[in-house]
Amino acid sequence: MTISAIDAAPSDALIQTDHAPAISASNVSKRYGPVSALEGLTLDIHAGEVFGLLGPNGSGKTTFMRLLAGYLLPSAGRLMVAGHDVVGDSLAVRRHIGYVPEAAPLYRQMRVGEFLAFMARLRGVPERNVKGAVERIVDRLALSAVADKPTRALSRGYRQRTALAQALVHDPDILILDEPSNGLDPRQIIEMRQLIRSLAGRHTVLISSHILSEVEKTCDRVAVLLNGRLLGVRAMADTPDLEAWFLSLA
Amino acid sequence: MRTLRILFAKELNATLTSPIGYTVAAVFLLVLGYTFSLTLFATKVANLQYIFHQMYVLSILLVPVLTMRSFAEERRSETLELLLTAPVQELSIVLAKYAATLTLVLGIFALSLVYAVILDRYGEPDWGQIHAGYLALALHASLLVAVGLLMSSITENQVVAAALSIGIFLMLWFADSVSYLLSPPFDSLALNLSLIGHFKPMVSGSVFVSDIGYFITASMLALFLTTWRLAQR
Repeated sequence: MTISAIDAAPSDALIQTDHAPAISASNVSKRYGPVSALEGLTLDIHAGEVFGLLGPNGSGKTTFMRLLAGYLLPSAGRLMVAGHDVVGDSLAVRRHIGYVPEAAPLYRQMRVGEFLAFMARLRGVPERNVKGAVERIVDRLALSAVADKPTRALSRGYRQRTALAQALVHDPDILILDEPSNGLDPRQIIEMRQLIRSLAGRHTVLISSHILSEVEKTCDRVAVLLNGRLLGVRAMADTPDLEAWFLSLA
Repeated sequence: MRTLRILFAKELNATLTSPIGYTVAAVFLLVLGYTFSLTLFATKVANLQYIFHQMYVLSILLVPVLTMRSFAEERRSETLELLLTAPVQELSIVLAKYAATLTLVLGIFALSLVYAVILDRYGEPDWGQIHAGYLALALHASLLVAVGLLMSSITENQVVAAALSIGIFLMLWFADSVSYLLSPPFDSLALNLSLIGHFKPMVSGSVFVSDIGYFITASMLALFLTTWRLAQR
């Protein structure tokens, strides 16, 4: 089933492209024993768009992101990322993505610059390019003030930005951000939103959130998940009242 | 290979910047120095066998302290998610942690060489036996580190990981005692699983391929199971 088959909104057809989707999920399920975390999810995400996953805690957003990132494997269905199967060609998938888990984990014993260099090397940036890649991302995300600080000494805002920097340091095609505004103050939320918007076009960005206004202001399209099921997908341009639409589904 | 080198450097750095490694080394050397002095003054024999047995016991108690963090801490702090979503094979992650911890343990063992030098200065020790003893210790360390990593990979609680490791080491240690209670063929199976049964001959200077094979096979099995555990998603 394609995205247009799930959501009957005519506006979706307008933003479909002829290109292969950056992310394509076909009837994907994830079960933990008898518990189903994700059930029959079918969804296409286009290259260059900022796509939001909206849903309450436990709706399956994190599970879907972990499946895309290769941290979990699907119990059923087919999941393609950048043209590669997440099960059959997991390493190739992981080369194409940058991933920020919800907790924005960092190695506490490392300094920010050292951590970014480590992640760049791990993600396959050639040794001769590591220094330049780290300098570029430190500059781009305004991390120079804390580049020599241990990550354990960072404020929540800098932690989140450093976590985003490690996901971007190798310039991936696809960026997966699990609750990127979590724990940030209002100013930091605005900065994070601007940052994510600035990535659109060059990167495909998938974010999850349970905050309607954040998704509304950040995303090109949004999907609503509830109890592991996809309830609908809409383009933000065609959704004047996200809250009303969300309530009509959930 | 580059990935393995990067991960090894990170693990070694984490080990050397943590106070745990230094604490373990200090306790190890303190107890060993005490034992060496007592034994030397009491027996006046240029022999390290007693020290090797002491190192065998100490490493069973202290290696779990070094390995308990490996995966449990990464799982608790969720950095394991970063590693497993990077384009890295699970085997590389396991081998890097194994090599870094083993390097630290062997480094601590190497400090005990000073006792061999002291014996050589004042007596005529059997160097063949000393070489065999250190080979036995290195193989013993390999097994302990590999099993310790496996235990760390199955829980996010470090204390549980250490307790499980010590429990398994003690069961392997006393496996030969259990063999007397079992009927064939389980008695010989238990006997062949015995840690001390394969360690003792080597420390005495008798190096058998079967004993070396035991340690290498057990280490490889534990590393394989750790990799398999990581791949379970």
